[in-house]
Amino acid sequence: MKRPRSIVLATVAALAATVALGGGALRDSHSAGALAAVPADARAYTALGFRLQALERETGDPVYLTRSEHALRRALALASDDRAATSGLATLALSSHHFREALALGRKMLRLSPESAQAYGVIGDAELELGRYRLAFAAFDTMARLRPGLSSYARVSYARELLGDRGGAIAAMRLALEPAAASREDTAWTRVQLGKLFWSEGRVGEAAAEYRAALAVLPGHAPALDALAQVEAARGRAEEAITLERRALEAMPMPQFAAALGDLYSSAGKPRLARAQYARVRALDRRLAANDTKIDLDVALFDVDHGIRLSQALVLARRGRAQRPSIDGDDVLAWALARNGRCAEARAYSQHALRLGTRDAVKLFHRGMIERCLGNRGTARHHLGRALALNPHFSLLWGPVARKVLR
Amino acid sequence: MTAVLRRRRVAVTALALFGAALALLMLRFGPTPSVAQASSHREAPLIANDPTADITDFYMFRSIQPGQADKVDLIMNVIPFQEPSGGPNYYNFDPSVVYTFHVDNNKNGTAGDVEFEFRFSNETRGIVNDAGLPLAYVALPPITSLSGPGSEGLGVRQRYSLTMIKDGHRIPISPMTDKIAVPSNVGPRTMPDYDGLAGQGTYDLGGGIKVFAGQRDDPFFIDLGAAFDTLNLRSPGTDMLSGFNVNSIVLEVPAALLTRDHRSPSTTTQPKLGAYASTSRPRVTVRGGGDGHSHGHGHGGFVQVQRLANPLINELIIGTKDKDRWNSLEPQQESAFLDYYENPRLALALSLVFGAPVPATPRSDLENALLKYAPGDMRLSELLRLDVSSAPGASWPNGRKPADDVTDTAIQVVGGVAFAGAGDNVSANDKVLPNVFPYLASPWDGRNRVHLNP
Repeated sequence: MKRPRSIVLATVAALAATVALGGGALRDSHSAGALAAVPADARAYTALGFRLQALERETGDPVYLTRSEHALRRALALASDDRAATSGLATLALSSHHFREALALGRKMLRLSPESAQAYGVIGDAELELGRYRLAFAAFDTMARLRPGLSSYARVSYARELLGDRGGAIAAMRLALEPAAASREDTAWTRVQLGKLFWSEGRVGEAAAEYRAALAVLPGHAPALDALAQVEAARGRAEEAITLERRALEAMPMPQFAAALGDLYSSAGKPRLARAQYARVRALDRRLAANDTKIDLDVALFDVDHGIRLSQALVLARRGRAQRPSIDGDDVLAWALARNGRCAEARAYSQHALRLGTRDAVKLFHRGMIERCLGNRGTARHHLGRALALNPHFSLLWGPVARKVLR
Repeated sequence: MTAVLRRRRVAVTALALFGAALALLMLRFGPTPSVAQASSHREAPLIANDPTADITDFYMFRSIQPGQADKVDLIMNVIPFQEPSGGPNYYNFDPSVVYTFHVDNNKNGTAGDVEFEFRFSNETRGIVNDAGLPLAYVALPPITSLSGPGSEGLGVRQRYSLTMIKDGHRIPISPMTDKIAVPSNVGPRTMPDYDGLAGQGTYDLGGGIKVFAGQRDDPFFIDLGAAFDTLNLRSPGTDMLSGFNVNSIVLEVPAALLTRDHRSPSTTTQPKLGAYASTSRPRVTVRGGGDGHSHGHGHGGFVQVQRLANPLINELIIGTKDKDRWNSLEPQQESAFLDYYENPRLALALSLVFGAPVPATPRSDLENALLKYAPGDMRLSELLRLDVSSAPGASWPNGRKPADDVTDTAIQVVGGVAFAGAGDNVSANDKVLPNVFPYLASPWDGRNRVHLNP
């Protein structure tokens, strides 16, 4: 009996080490009874992989995603059916926009752990970005039945938002606040999501209150600073907005924060400072791409919005939509086509982007501008009017354009 | 020879404890939330802790309070590992969670005969609210009362309602008005007579029914730390849960309210009860509505987050890969997990490592003890069972009292004859457990509980 005993004791030690490493993988580690099944090193690599993902969340540095992937792949090389390592890779695939891979990993999770709420979350997230909404919503419903709580309520909220059910989206996100209360990070995240739901229908005051509540529980929370900057800009307080956006960017160097800061400078009449931020967007994008995050769609939208290399942007948009055939993919491709003067082609994609009935001011604005390009003035005014009625502050860049067209 | 045996005993116990430790830690701490930031697509956390819906322990026993032997007590503890100094908000029940005790009194394994549902509501009030203080509780003046003068500093206050559901009929026992949950024990300046405050939160509802909801010392005891230190066990062991608090719901009712024939423990002809505790959250679907506004409209609008009957089942018997499914099903659907009972992995590990004989599989003994009222019972249901006609003081698995050493019992039962007498050398809670309602010890206070070795 010597051999099994030594194996088990080694496993015990490795498990203790896993705990010391931060315990991120613990829940999904094999439980006590099945001690002998998995080599010790797989656990250590899995724990390392989870810790590296946590570092990415803290710093925003995508190099940790690459390093996490290496650790998790080594874990799976040692134990191909390790549930923790599989779920870690699935999370990673979602974060880096490899949605088809995420879907395959989600299905593997479900095979390893039938009726795992987490697996349904991964599958739903991936199906959603792949544009298969019926399947995505079914996965979210199953997840909410298996484990009602923050993770499933937030997903149901997002699904309702996509379907144009804003009241329902707000109600579900409010419900998520109670289970989120146990964690400051979760509370801040949930508050920001709730604020954005208010914001997207022009309820600026309520949005600001949620963002401030997020900052009260988690001072310096970058997404809340970024969102609050948009509120200040909407209220005409450009200086305050710029200060907040800079703080967000300092806390977490995300390209979308740099883009927002550039736009704030631009609309404040500071083109030189704006250009510096746009250059920074490029640099941050390169860093994401270097760490294998698929950002073609995001780059395409930025370029199209800022009139940069439009024909190249259209190529990116097509590629991005192939990776992410969602309503966002349709919308960005439509907008890229329109800005390249191919409005008839653009129209079909724009209609497709609005097929769920999503009440999204940006998508409605795109639709309106495409109709205008096609000479359909009445239809154009209708959609632009809807966009502004929904959220008069939907875009620092395009809000004024929409208003001008309507005048 | 004796030394060798003793060493083997210690090692065996250590492994079993290690299993329990790991499982408890997994359940009690869980993973960190994963809100990714790196990308522009909408990312929600995939796994998040849910401590307010997390039941640590469930107890059911014939009252051990002198003169109260005609009563049965039900206790559920939630919100694990509370650090007593965990301000400024401390620990509250969750207004969006339904906390329920379920009782089976006709031995059909379905615990829907008598149910007791607790719901909470929050109120922000007093000087904390008026002055916008970032504290839940403040000694302005010291908190000496749950309501009226002396309660001004109670900035967050929770009220609760109790509803009995008997054979499908909802019977309000106490409305959401005057019953107040006892707040966390902040410290002697803020709450100079905490036990007095807790006494005010112990309610006699008439008809022999008593309730308490609020913070208590965690009565579970186990030497987790020694097991994790590469099986470095000791005698006496140390209660690793010492110094941590939980939130407790304690309900005492006449046994006659629970028994099928409405008779007392001494006269009932149907003395066997089965029970479990559950937490539920509002059921929400993408298109089907459900937003938690249907409060009080029965269980239909809610979905189970967790269930708990016997101790250590969730930790030691059910495999991690089936946890979500197990928690989403009802106790009477336990036959879906029969393999875990018949082939307990803990026993397998024990025999693998130490060569100590464990009972042969399939383990009908575990099945009989945990899933049936009697060996001939064909309806498998994972319930905590109590024979109310047994004398007060009976121990798990005949009911369960806070003082029962379930870790030792579990090891002995799962391990079989070779493990008779095995244990973790921690056989009592760090605080003395009272034998009067609410049967749990006063919680550690936030100011004076310290993390220094003696």
